[in-house]
Amino acid sequence: MTQNNGHPQPAQPAQAAGQASDRADSQAGSQAANNQAANNQAGNRAQAPNGPKSSPLYGILTALGILIFAFLPMILSTLVGRSTPYWLDVVNTVGLYTILALSLNVILGHAGMFHMGHAAFFAIGAYSTAILNLTYGWSIMATMPVATLAAGFVALILAWPIIHLRGDYLLIVTIGIVEIVRIALTNNIFGLTGGSNGLVGIARPSLFGFRITSPKHFFYFIWTVVGLTILLFHWLENSRFGRARKFIKEDTVAAENMGVNTSRYKLMAFVVGAAWAGLAGTIFASRMRTISPETFVFSESVLLFTIVILGGKGSQKGVLLGSFLVIGLPEFFRGFEDKRLLVFGAALVVMMIFRPQGLLPSKQAHYKLPPGWADRLAQLPKPETNGPNGKRPPNGGAPPVAKPQNAPPEENGA
Amino acid sequence: MQILSLSSVTKTFGGLVAVAGVSCGVDRGAVVGLIGPNGAGKTTVFNLITGSIKPDDGHIFFSGHSIRGLSPHRIVALGIARTFQTIRLFQGLSVLENVLSGCHCRMRSGLVASLLRLPGQRREERLVIERAMGELEFVGLAGLWKATAGSLAYGDQRRLEIARALATEPKLLILDEPAGGMNEQETFELRELINLIRKRDITVLLIEHDMGFVMSVCDQVLVMENGILIAQGTPQEIQNNPKVIEAYLGLDDDD
Ligand SMILES: Nc1ncnc2c1ncn2[C@@H]1O[C@H](COP(=O)(O)OP(=O)(O)OP(=O)(O)O)[C@@H](O)[C@H]1O
Ligand SMILES: [Mg+2]
Repeated sequence: MTQNNGHPQPAQPAQAAGQASDRADSQAGSQAANNQAANNQAGNRAQAPNGPKSSPLYGILTALGILIFAFLPMILSTLVGRSTPYWLDVVNTVGLYTILALSLNVILGHAGMFHMGHAAFFAIGAYSTAILNLTYGWSIMATMPVATLAAGFVALILAWPIIHLRGDYLLIVTIGIVEIVRIALTNNIFGLTGGSNGLVGIARPSLFGFRITSPKHFFYFIWTVVGLTILLFHWLENSRFGRARKFIKEDTVAAENMGVNTSRYKLMAFVVGAAWAGLAGTIFASRMRTISPETFVFSESVLLFTIVILGGKGSQKGVLLGSFLVIGLPEFFRGFEDKRLLVFGAALVVMMIFRPQGLLPSKQAHYKLPPGWADRLAQLPKPETNGPNGKRPPNGGAPPVAKPQNAPPEENGA
Repeated sequence: MQILSLSSVTKTFGGLVAVAGVSCGVDRGAVVGLIGPNGAGKTTVFNLITGSIKPDDGHIFFSGHSIRGLSPHRIVALGIARTFQTIRLFQGLSVLENVLSGCHCRMRSGLVASLLRLPGQRREERLVIERAMGELEFVGLAGLWKATAGSLAYGDQRRLEIARALATEPKLLILDEPAGGMNEQETFELRELINLIRKRDITVLLIEHDMGFVMSVCDQVLVMENGILIAQGTPQEIQNNPKVIEAYLGLDDDD
């Protein structure tokens, strides 16, 4: 740190009397401590703008990864031969959970709302599709927008009164929501949901006349949706809407005082996330062809919550990794299936202690300055000429990326 | 012509009367100081104006409209922006993003435009970054646009808060102890900055304990003590006001 980074000032020439300057001193002191903490925090994140994101190598590797992934069905069939469909199913399940976890990430990761009832909106999407298909004969793709809107609409109604609640209270209420939905489904609400047996015989989706049936078809279908989701949510994150949610997560009071309609944006984040879970519900229903209330229990919500926290709240890459770890990895250890929750519990505890920000935490957003600014910044005067409305040189005031080695894990955990 | 006026505004916390029937006004284009001993109720008055807390009684008018009971974000949209006594930046976000938070209320792109990155949204995004950089340049922080807000030196953080508030395009700027914790050089620069802000036709209302600063930068001074407005006038008048002198000397005796 440089300059007088919040050092207590010599008592001001105070007509304002002794007491005032006492207070000013202690205040400055505590803020110095604040600054210290903030600086440590800065360490991890300040680097981001020049981080791997901007390097061309990173882009090439990503493209290569996507390309290899696109040939996964062929690669699998040479590697595992006849059990290819089984492994593709596993990858498809991971994909579906990725969509769900990405949608939860909008609520939990970006807006910082503790929502543990996500399975409820997943269920609403799945049942909307199933009912429209079975009872009214709609095609699956036609039910998709309706399922999405239905989940979003229910979220709007349910979240309206609770959106002001603080973290822990919201958590309890959202757990309530998932239970209410499950019980409603089990009790065959409106005579449409088939009670505890659920609904059977849902059709397959078809796209442009092509029927999606095999695991391989679903692989391309699901992972295309994953890709689209990542793209759209990436855009959303780096927009006015996404920034508003970031401000809310950082400091709701300050956000409101800077003109952000905080309750509106929280509500919108909730609705968007829920709607997307509804869309995932459509895919799920048509893939399984059978749905029942057991699929949408509380523990599903916990699983999704785990994926987001483990991977890194707010980071889509983290969520992707989290899905593979939480959903995919256990397939390699089938023998230990009943110990799965135990392992996740332990993993979460270890994470919270050593890496509370998640495996791949979100990085600072990347902004490109409009043309001309590079030159303008380069022309800023040197430190000595720190004139009145001083136009400071880059890094003139403080080293923005003073990276403390051994910085303790930052970010306030869950 | 008054841009802001309070009439018998009262606020109690439990049994404590923090603001007791304060009536005052702020002239358009002026720089007005609000002073008083610790706990006098100055910050509470600011919180009442910006909508952070609701008055128990009384009225607040801004540009002739009652703003009593409006939520803070609506009051910002009407043209009042503030900074905080204890710095409240978005510490983990970049300097530029902090200023963009102020631009938010003057932007239009909604959910769909953002989700699909429509052309209008991209254009707006470019314009707003340009504008945010302009505000950073105005307060002298343009070179630090990439830095994390929490890593800035203390005085720079205060100025970043001002840039963020200016980005809301306010008509009235409210500063709660802007020079708190600044050194002499920084305080001097702040004075220059406030003069530049006034040239932009923005009215300024500020709380400050540094009397030299208040007397040199303000046209009008309001004095509070124990929730009551005990005096108002030009710096000259205030310095010679017996009530004010007593309020401050009385404090000394307590020590
Ligand atoms: N939210 C609150 N809840 C309860 N009491 C409060 C609250 N805000 C302020 N007060 C009390 O109201 C009184 C006035 O506080 P205020 O912060 O307005 O004083 P101030 O003039 O800004 O003082 P300072 O110079 O120390 O900043 C104090 O006694 C304070 O403890
Ligand atoms: Mg105060």
